[in-house]
Amino acid sequence: MRYDSITDVIGNTPLVRIDPAVHGLRHIDLYAKLEMLNPFGSVKDRPAWNMARPHLAAAAERDETVVELSSGNTAKALALLAGMHGLTFKSVTNRMRVPEIKELLLLLGAEIEELPGQSECLDPTDTDDPLTRFHQALSEPGSTYLHTDQYFNPRNTEAHATGTGPEIVKDLDGRAPDWFIACVGTAGSSTGVASVLRENDPRVRVLGLVADKSDFIPGIRTIDEVHQVGLFDPATYDTIEPVTSQEAIDGMLTLIRRCGLLSGPTGGAAYQGAVRRLRLVDAELTDSDRRTAVFIVCDRAESYLSYVRQRRPELLGAPRRGHHVSDLTDADVAAGAKTIGTGDARRWIADGQPAPLVVDLRGPHAYAALHIEGSVNIVDEVFDELVRGGLPFSKSRPVLLACPVGEKSARYAALLTRMGHPDVRSLTGGVVAWRDAGAPLVRE
Amino acid sequence: MSEPLYLLPRLEPPLSSLLDAGEFLHPLVDALGSPLNVLLPERIAENVRRFRAVYRDHHLSGRVYFAHKANRSSALVRRLAVEDSASVGADVASLGELQHVLACGFTPDRIMATGPKDPDFLWLAARSGVTVNLDSPGELDQLAEIVRKYGLPRTDVLLRLSGFELGAAASGASGVRLLSRRSRFGSPIEEAAELLAAVERHRDAVELTGIAYHLDTTGLAEKVRALEQCLMVMDECRARGLAPRVVDIGGGFGVGYVADAGQWNRYTTALTEAVLGTRPALTWRGYGYGLRNEAGTLRGAAALYPAHRPDAGAGYLDELLSLASPLLGRPPATLLLEHLFDLSVEPGRALIDQCGASLARVLEVRRMGEGTGDYVVRLAMNAGDMSLEEHGVLVDPVLLPRPGGGGGESDAGPVGVFLVGNLCLEADLITRRMVFLPRLPRVGDLLAFANTAGYAMDFHAHQAQRQPVARAVAVTGEGGSWSWCPDEEYWPISHGGGVLS
Repeated sequence: MRYDSITDVIGNTPLVRIDPAVHGLRHIDLYAKLEMLNPFGSVKDRPAWNMARPHLAAAAERDETVVELSSGNTAKALALLAGMHGLTFKSVTNRMRVPEIKELLLLLGAEIEELPGQSECLDPTDTDDPLTRFHQALSEPGSTYLHTDQYFNPRNTEAHATGTGPEIVKDLDGRAPDWFIACVGTAGSSTGVASVLRENDPRVRVLGLVADKSDFIPGIRTIDEVHQVGLFDPATYDTIEPVTSQEAIDGMLTLIRRCGLLSGPTGGAAYQGAVRRLRLVDAELTDSDRRTAVFIVCDRAESYLSYVRQRRPELLGAPRRGHHVSDLTDADVAAGAKTIGTGDARRWIADGQPAPLVVDLRGPHAYAALHIEGSVNIVDEVFDELVRGGLPFSKSRPVLLACPVGEKSARYAALLTRMGHPDVRSLTGGVVAWRDAGAPLVRE
Repeated sequence: MSEPLYLLPRLEPPLSSLLDAGEFLHPLVDALGSPLNVLLPERIAENVRRFRAVYRDHHLSGRVYFAHKANRSSALVRRLAVEDSASVGADVASLGELQHVLACGFTPDRIMATGPKDPDFLWLAARSGVTVNLDSPGELDQLAEIVRKYGLPRTDVLLRLSGFELGAAASGASGVRLLSRRSRFGSPIEEAAELLAAVERHRDAVELTGIAYHLDTTGLAEKVRALEQCLMVMDECRARGLAPRVVDIGGGFGVGYVADAGQWNRYTTALTEAVLGTRPALTWRGYGYGLRNEAGTLRGAAALYPAHRPDAGAGYLDELLSLASPLLGRPPATLLLEHLFDLSVEPGRALIDQCGASLARVLEVRRMGEGTGDYVVRLAMNAGDMSLEEHGVLVDPVLLPRPGGGGGESDAGPVGVFLVGNLCLEADLITRRMVFLPRLPRVGDLLAFANTAGYAMDFHAHQAQRQPVARAVAVTGEGGSWSWCPDEEYWPISHGGGVLS
């Protein structure tokens, strides 16, 4: 397979059957349309290319910036397309809640503008919401933006009506599936695919999935938010049902661990929502009725690890190794930590034979601003790593540990003592007590 | 009528038990008139304790300042005055508020003057020795001039900064620009260096004790970024030989008004559908609260206070202090502690959560047009007396039936009503939305608007129409019985009759 450009690789994604042993539906063949195998990684490659393609050459001549309200996959595809044409891309959003996606966009050279949060005190004079201001800026005379406008641009839907939909029919040997299941984001894929499938067979049932209102699933809107989408038409869907983030992660795990499909949470939501609905349908069917259903796997898992970590930390839990302060109980700390007050500590530093090594466990910025003269800065996080492997100091040198209020340093003092250091002490009351006692702090 | 769309208020003790005590509240309104504002000074002490617990968990020192503008009550301020002076202060935004808190027992070292200030306000602040939270370089010049001219002692000042909307370099991540809502308060952070130079010039008259910000947003990320930028300015201060110790992060910690997330979600979805025309209107003349229908697509933003919140008040502060900061990586609480800085906050609304209710008597119940099913309930109060709507707060009143009021068959079961006020104005609606009540109210019943102490209770009340303005009473409960006194007669140390409690 040889291509002249990566954009030629967009589309023609495979339709893969889900093993019935996994979904348990007896009379329904369930297929996944693997949009995650598009070159930029998602179903959005198609509309991004279709929306931008006619305008990129002219935009490059006028040195315009490609701009879109997107928190994820559309932005990713557009950023890459813009880059290929020597343009910059700007994403405007207040929904960029997945850090990996944000970092990936920065890597691709995108600029990101984050809209302000909701106002705490209602200001009745604040009639224009940030989005209205954004649209005003775009339409100002002389503005140099190419706005792809994915929520209103019919070329978004068209990309699926000419690509995704016909591909599904072709791979099902010219037949439309009985059910089509899609998560609703811009409504582009569900609207475009549904129109083609219904042309083929008006009996096709379309299930739209939205995010549960109090929950967040990347790429899916809630039932209220879909109404803000120009492409959204309730008539497209026979049913609209909510999915929770936990269901999305359940579905994602099934696809990954049992089907070998490296799906992200949106695909997981589509699978879980599909099976939940189709189980009811399946129960009504007899052996002579066979049905087919297709859902979309929107994108891949790798970008959503922190999303999973936040909601299902046990899935990503790393086993503990070596020594760690959290192994100590409060009683261990109370019994094992040697402490010393500011006055005695000052005398120890001045007259000790040998004098203690003073270790300041605070962050480097705070240490740089003010610290005990002669101390070294080992930030607690770094210290955690150091002590896992063993004692980071010679036993021949006494150590004075200091943190803000003497609580953290007491824990470390107890741990180092347990690890065999003969003389580690914690500064009682920490640097705060040191300051309050009028002892000197320096800025070097 | 379809399923009633309730927005039941979140009620905690003692407000929850007070609203059960109809036999106490009815005679009170009979005696003092409708509307009546009831305040629960004991509860503000409980709210202070919750904020202090967050400070304690993070080992932070500094003061929680009550933002007085949220409620003018004497009882609430006096109750705070007896709290620990090192940890509780008052934030005043006018000359009158300053006089009031001084008269309520706050010593000047516990008071901070914020907001727009005129020369008299600045003079009394400097004369009495309260801290001035400076809004602009002009205000600094004016204060310094007053201090010199009248030979006053050096005044402690904080610099309030704004405009944290900065480009990529300052925000710490390349290519990310965090937009923020424009504010008319505070000096732009780009001008911090000039401000500090001005503070040095006026060293004979003022002493810089801290850096402040207040952002009108519910967004935690914006606040963390602002806090971090304030730390950078504190650094600059130390490099110049100034020694400020306080970082003041303002307020905006929020209140959860509606108890149940499901009710809030159902209501706001129904509102969206009503604006789109897919269900009957839920509001007077189809008012959309900022939402509008453009060719079947929803446009605009709902100008509503997020009335159901899982984390508000002290919980919000805890969350804010625990987030990782973008540039320095460590949570704000750790940064403040490690830099040996004190934290100041000014919760207004959040500190008087559950501290009061507004009561109104039902004057008339009327059906608007045959067959529409719309009821209008006229109350002996107006939109100025209880301005939840003005602040976009949607929450249902609690119906307190008049004892012995009897019942009729016709008024049984849930009903949707519009609550209108006592002014001869079309616009005088207490609620612009249809409020669902468990049954149709009767003349003589009371409606209690719970949790109105923050900004809603009498915030817009005035005498212009010669309607009675609400009286305010402080109530205290002990062992299931309630006692009351006029707000201005409440002192936290006595039971009345000159006897120490």
